[in-house]
Amino acid sequence: MIRFRAALAAAASVLLLTSACGSGDSSDDASGDGPTTVKVSVIPIVDVAPIYLGNQQGFFAEQGLKLDLQSAQGGAAIVPAVVSGQVDFGFSNYTSLLIAKSKGLPLKVVAAGAGSTGVQGKDFGGVVVKAGSPIKSAKDLAGKRVAVNTLNNINDTTVRASIRAAGGDAKNVKFTELAFPDMLAALEKGNVDAVQVVEPFLATAKKNGGKVIASNYVDTAPNLTIAGYFTSQKTAGSKPELVKKFAAAMQKSLKYADENPDAVRKILGTYTKIDPSLTPSLTLPKFPTEVNSASLDTLSKLAVQDGLIKTAPDVKDLLP
Amino acid sequence: MTAAVTANATGRGRGGRRHRPIPAWALGLTGLLCLMAVVELVPRTGLVQERFLPPFSEMVSALVDQAGTSAFWQALLETLRGWAIGLAIAMAAGVVLGIVIGGVPLLRAAMSSTIEFLRPIPSVALIPLAVLLYGTEMRSTLLLVVYASFWQILLQVLYGVQDVDPVARETARSYRFRPLTQVRTVIWPTALPYVMTGFRLGAAVALILEITGELVIGSPGLGKQIAVAQTSGAVASMYALVIVVGLIGVVVNVIARTTERRVLRWHPSVRREVFS
Repeated sequence: MIRFRAALAAAASVLLLTSACGSGDSSDDASGDGPTTVKVSVIPIVDVAPIYLGNQQGFFAEQGLKLDLQSAQGGAAIVPAVVSGQVDFGFSNYTSLLIAKSKGLPLKVVAAGAGSTGVQGKDFGGVVVKAGSPIKSAKDLAGKRVAVNTLNNINDTTVRASIRAAGGDAKNVKFTELAFPDMLAALEKGNVDAVQVVEPFLATAKKNGGKVIASNYVDTAPNLTIAGYFTSQKTAGSKPELVKKFAAAMQKSLKYADENPDAVRKILGTYTKIDPSLTPSLTLPKFPTEVNSASLDTLSKLAVQDGLIKTAPDVKDLLP
Repeated sequence: MTAAVTANATGRGRGGRRHRPIPAWALGLTGLLCLMAVVELVPRTGLVQERFLPPFSEMVSALVDQAGTSAFWQALLETLRGWAIGLAIAMAAGVVLGIVIGGVPLLRAAMSSTIEFLRPIPSVALIPLAVLLYGTEMRSTLLLVVYASFWQILLQVLYGVQDVDPVARETARSYRFRPLTQVRTVIWPTALPYVMTGFRLGAAVALILEITGELVIGSPGLGKQIAVAQTSGAVASMYALVIVVGLIGVVVNVIARTTERRVLRWHPSVRREVFS
């Protein structure tokens, strides 16, 4: 399924590049009275809790914005929708944005989204092995099969960074693409030796005896920001007021979410179907208010090092 | 699935020996019960871990939980609405274009290669295009639904129009019937069984594409709920929704067959079925 989506993403980017797509302006810029409707495409995962929470707390209404949150199944659907102007903002991890940028897609990051907690072994994502596995640390992953949700993206590059940080041979690791929901079953069956999972699958894995051997985001860089909200350069250029208001509301939402983890856990029940008995044990990501440009540089360097992209895109051009 | 088939086969064998046929619905029910039993027992006996395939009873209890939420009913409604609108558009377009193209030999010859080229394009391959045009809204899934079911219907209508008795057509023409009268009195009655076959095939394909679109694009509906359940690791809820989708499939099939039988009650193929 993921590979299929990746193929879709590729097809979509080709379509985008070859066609001057400027169809349908979805919403007009603030025009006096009444709130402006903003369409935001997000993935129904823990990382986007702040936007739901901010919406509930009225942070967007304060800015005169009315959020229309559309949950999509991944970047394959989000990036084309943002570039064609069907939605105003989208949520994506930074590596995907860097790859898209290096392929010439006109994108712009407008607000931070989610980041690593920075605490070894207590992050919202990590590499997990079965109980009793001979793999004890990231170093032992050399030559082993590791499942990631998308090949040539943030998770395999950061797992490689983890292996390097532990002094292992990162070239030798075999990555397999598997959807997060399928990973624990594959690990249990022995189809793979380790899996890189995020919440809620990390908590499920721990509950069932899985062992976290590395926190790949922590190993990559201190306080790595992983994902954020972006728009197209066209929207950024034609509706600067809208972007400014959205960024301001988003910043407030992220701050609120970071200070009120219980509210975050509670809001999860409204847009995901995560088992309520599991929510207290989830490790929440950090919700940084600023886009950490050092993180982007690191991810960009890793992407070039691992051959995801040939030349590093201009990170400054991607940032607000 | 296998269990259902075996159950049906053995049931029929026993029935045959006694010379008292077991009614079809009873056999169908037995098959379903066996399937339920297998899904209940496989995880309970530990053949498959419960956290990957929850027992049937757990799926049912998840389904009951779902049924208590308005989001579920909303999603169900959205799926049915998308399916119905898509099928209606495809039916209207397929029947009209089919009769026009099929009725004019020159047009038919000119269009056949185009149709043969466009028809095999899998609807799912159009997902990127649909997302570009309509984002992640209901319309993008609608595009897929219409595209997929349109060809099913168009092709059947074309065959139906081709099947019209040339003598009848010539007779109508020599009596100077107007084109619309010709369609109503000569072409339509012959094409109708084909149209109904197209409807039945289109209805099933439309449902498949409706769910696929929701699942992959994330447009509102049950497919999206399945995807959300999957990304949330809510295995039982996911299977519960899959069961609902299966049930909708059964209902759609029953509706299509009933409609077909009602509309064609005069047709020999249906009459024979009733007499036997």
